[in-house]
Amino acid sequence: MASDSTSSSSDSAYDSAADHNPNSDTPINNHDSAIDDHLTSLTLTPLDEDLAPEKEREIEETDQTPMPEIGVTEVEEEAADVLASEVVVEEERESNSVSATGDVGLAWREEEVEAPASPGSSGYAGERGSSNASSASGIEEIGEDQVAERDGGLVNGVADSQPAWIPGKRHVNEDDTSILWRRRKKHFFILSHSGKPIYSRYGDEHKLAGFSATLQAIISFVENGGDRVKLVRAGKHQVVFLVKGPIYLVCISCTEEPYESLRGQLELLYGQMILILTKSVNRCFEKNAKFDMTPLLGGTDAVFSSLIHSFSWNPATFLHAYTCLPLAYPTRQAAGAILQDVADSGVLFAILMCKHKVVSLVGAEKASLHPDDMLLLSNFVMSSESFRTSESFSPICLPKYNSMAFLYAYVQYLDVNTYLMLLTTRSDAFYHLKECRASIEAVFLKSNVLSEVQRSMLDGGMHIEDLPVDPSSRSGSASSHLGQHSPERFRDTYTSLGGPCGLWHFIYRSIYLDQYVSSEFSAPINTPQQQKRLYRAYQKIYASMHDKGFGPNKTQFRRDDNYVLLCWVTQDFELYAAFDPLADKAMAIKTCNRVCQWVKDVENEIFLLGASPFSW
Amino acid sequence: MGLYSTATISADAVKLCVFDLRRGQREGDEVEKILFFYPSEVPLTEQLSVIGLSEGLITFTRIFSPDVACEVIEAERHSHVFYEVEPDIWMVMVVEKNRELDGIWRIEALRGMLKEVHSLFVMFNGSIRAMLDKESSGALVRSHLFSFITDYLFACQKRYPLDFCCWDLLAGKKLQLPSFRDSLQERGTVQMLTVGRDAAIEIQSLVRVLESCAGSAGCHSLVLFHDLLVSTSLCPDDTVNLYTYAVMRMSPRALSTSVSSWSYLRKGNSSAHLTTGSVLPTSSSSSERVQGSRDTSPSGDNRYLIARPLQQDKWSKGKDGFLVTNRWGSDMHASLPTVWLQQTKERMYLCAHQHKNVTIILLIPVTFINNADREIPVLKQQLLENASLKILKVEEKLSKGWGGENAYHVSGYRYLLVDGDRSVSRASPAAKAATLSKESLIAMCKLREEIDLEKSRTKGDDGNHGKDLELCIRAKNNAWVVARVLRGKELYVVLEKANETLLYASDAIEKFSNRYCNGAFS
Repeated sequence: MASDSTSSSSDSAYDSAADHNPNSDTPINNHDSAIDDHLTSLTLTPLDEDLAPEKEREIEETDQTPMPEIGVTEVEEEAADVLASEVVVEEERESNSVSATGDVGLAWREEEVEAPASPGSSGYAGERGSSNASSASGIEEIGEDQVAERDGGLVNGVADSQPAWIPGKRHVNEDDTSILWRRRKKHFFILSHSGKPIYSRYGDEHKLAGFSATLQAIISFVENGGDRVKLVRAGKHQVVFLVKGPIYLVCISCTEEPYESLRGQLELLYGQMILILTKSVNRCFEKNAKFDMTPLLGGTDAVFSSLIHSFSWNPATFLHAYTCLPLAYPTRQAAGAILQDVADSGVLFAILMCKHKVVSLVGAEKASLHPDDMLLLSNFVMSSESFRTSESFSPICLPKYNSMAFLYAYVQYLDVNTYLMLLTTRSDAFYHLKECRASIEAVFLKSNVLSEVQRSMLDGGMHIEDLPVDPSSRSGSASSHLGQHSPERFRDTYTSLGGPCGLWHFIYRSIYLDQYVSSEFSAPINTPQQQKRLYRAYQKIYASMHDKGFGPNKTQFRRDDNYVLLCWVTQDFELYAAFDPLADKAMAIKTCNRVCQWVKDVENEIFLLGASPFSW
Repeated sequence: MGLYSTATISADAVKLCVFDLRRGQREGDEVEKILFFYPSEVPLTEQLSVIGLSEGLITFTRIFSPDVACEVIEAERHSHVFYEVEPDIWMVMVVEKNRELDGIWRIEALRGMLKEVHSLFVMFNGSIRAMLDKESSGALVRSHLFSFITDYLFACQKRYPLDFCCWDLLAGKKLQLPSFRDSLQERGTVQMLTVGRDAAIEIQSLVRVLESCAGSAGCHSLVLFHDLLVSTSLCPDDTVNLYTYAVMRMSPRALSTSVSSWSYLRKGNSSAHLTTGSVLPTSSSSSERVQGSRDTSPSGDNRYLIARPLQQDKWSKGKDGFLVTNRWGSDMHASLPTVWLQQTKERMYLCAHQHKNVTIILLIPVTFINNADREIPVLKQQLLENASLKILKVEEKLSKGWGGENAYHVSGYRYLLVDGDRSVSRASPAAKAATLSKESLIAMCKLREEIDLEKSRTKGDDGNHGKDLELCIRAKNNAWVVARVLRGKELYVVLEKANETLLYASDAIEKFSNRYCNGAFS
């Protein structure tokens, strides 16, 4: 909750404008009639002229660093004011949630602790029911708790360089009549085919029923004409639609991300929902078209919001590949060996991860794990507080593996960031998996795997400053350990920021391994804003290279005000590299070649090799 | 009836409508909104459904984007392209995406058509809103739009700078839309003839004579050689409109094609062929009886005399070299066509003279002429007396320096150069661009779409030019497709037989820029 606002001054500017025009007087849509397909149902009352002050900055959550608590309280209170009808209640709640942080959070957690800790206690089972204030703020608090725990962790790597980001729903007190809500940069909605809201990134789903009905009306209006709406573009805004049987997903964004990327994000959002519920939820809609799904997803706001957050920093969301924690080859081998033993005893997948990075991963014979499933699974585990507090056994569905059936995931954190996931098809395997975990943990202790993992978190992966001058001459030598900076660092010879020849950052994706490696951020890509901008630039060039139907292209060189981006797609790998916008073309190409060589030299440390039983 | 009146109807392929959001706001009156719908045979309920969806999305998108409402709807089978031609007056084109490759287009190219037809409409008729204000029933504007847009759909010629193929949009049963094959062309721009110093001086002095003919009043002139612009005294917008019209209906090529069959000109370069819905009679007397959208205007209404400047055979060349037009149909001076200038909001008599391949368009302010029927012929006579020699000289000079159809071909390159500020473009001859493989053209089409998006994003940001951008892509077929955007100028190049290195491609662009663009992109 604390990190929600841009700045109190700009917010109050909106608010004062809004104050003069109570938004509650602006009916956005008559949603009773909206569901029928008559054209009038699509006609919304346009935004009141007075409500739209001259061009102002759009608001986006994830960019913002946490505000001092006092400031936030003010802003939230003002935001609450906008909804005249609920001013009192909302304000009370908001001040509660900020000032009485500990109490509320604690209460919720106690409740959770009381719940059975083993079989059946899945992370999403927390009762949320409706959007009553206490449960909502409870979820927010968990977010803060999580961050507090995470802060104890290390600051390195892509994810870790983000500011403390708090999962959970934002701005529950907003709805489509609110000017602030309309200005949010990126909305996500899930609704049912009858127009019932299921999830909204911002605002209370129940208050967005009318808006949801409008989205449904648009989709079904086009559908009745024998077509299917994919995209609506208006200025900088894009409205992207995805229909998955009885589930409709919509993204409204002015982030300039390509359509393909936004659509991919909706696919992942849908996948996340399937991971929690399986596709058999469709049957509920077959029985009752007006089925209300929100109770089924109660308490999972944090899962969705953290996934949506990852759309702005995690390259796995568009590369469809996973990344590994850099580790010495023998260490990873050791970890893999014990996981393999476990897998042979009837475990479908045994996965050891550190935050969003894979330490080791083993699957039963012929079973293959799609990178998207891994992304969704790790997001689910990391964003659900209950997994952190105790060992858990939870039904989950891997949408790409089998979208119709539940698997059972035994999850246990081995240290603050490292967690073990054992997946099985058997619902009665809890005690077996518990034993497996114990034996794994014992081996890890003996072989120092966990301390190696900790060390790797500290050291980070590939630093562009360490790019070898002439990698080929060093290849084969054992000196290319990632953690040990080589003596002849470019940092010494080049006074400019970043790596050699203006190299700022790169991502290398191995096609056969379904893995990518991304260099650590360093100057001048220091701030979260810069990192996100670079991430978006990569996303754009990825979409441009991988045109469906006609792609992929082979090479792309793109120079704009911010970067020189070079992308190189071959049968074996894809390289995305960012340079200073003034970088010399020939030098940039040379540097890319060196990066590729470097990656090859250290591939057994940065990738999970060989052990993979993947069949694709 | 006309030639195509029996054409089979596949109304789904293309729809084009114009509607006014200020009208028909009461329930049951929605039909009042419709000012034009093509094809007119589409049942009213379907027309209302297209407009309803459009209006719904315009309103919906304004929730989030109050400044720019809906611009495009992409559905699986159709693209809906929106253009707000005047405040609250919208033009929407719905195009079916067929399975074949020809169904790949740039949205901006389609929108370019909408912009063009509206600009031309305003040039001849004034704004739609003004016409609605004049007669609020809408019958007047409906009649005008109906004849004008259907004529446009029939008559919109594709214009290439040097390759003189022009053919009509509604060729036979096919409606031709801009497709990926037109990736190296830019609608709404003027193609200029490059002239030597000598010729330039001759032209200068000719223009001076021309504009002094009508005294000192604010006359304007345009000079064309073949389909290329030689000189203009108008602002870029007005120049584009008049140039577009001249190439479409008045240039020597247009005049000769209008009398003979024009289908032979359809060279290898083809565009999206879509079966059209309604095809209307073009030149039979019945076509003069313009009807508006069904149910929205009295059918067979002949109350209005409607100028149909886009009609085939509108112009012919008289013995004295002046172009004459029959039945212009405007209310006051039936025989003397007039146009509105955007910049000065002035109404001008349109007077055109042609000598061989030189076409001269002279615009004389209406306010300057008291009795057009008497004064204009006198003016023409003066013009002949004073300028004939100069015209001969200019023609001679231009013909001598004329490099022919492929004058602007640069071997090894297929290019398009656009100067957005001046609305000028130059491109590889169409016949040369057509030698590119489909893959290269599609890659260029996609690249241009990307640049279009970048441009539209930066459009509102500040008064300056958008981002400067350099983009080189090596496509799947190994062709290099390159875009450079710098200070409002755009260069697009396809290099099919290039070396495989990026540096080679960059060098090639650098050379091109230095040699043919005065180093604008270096």
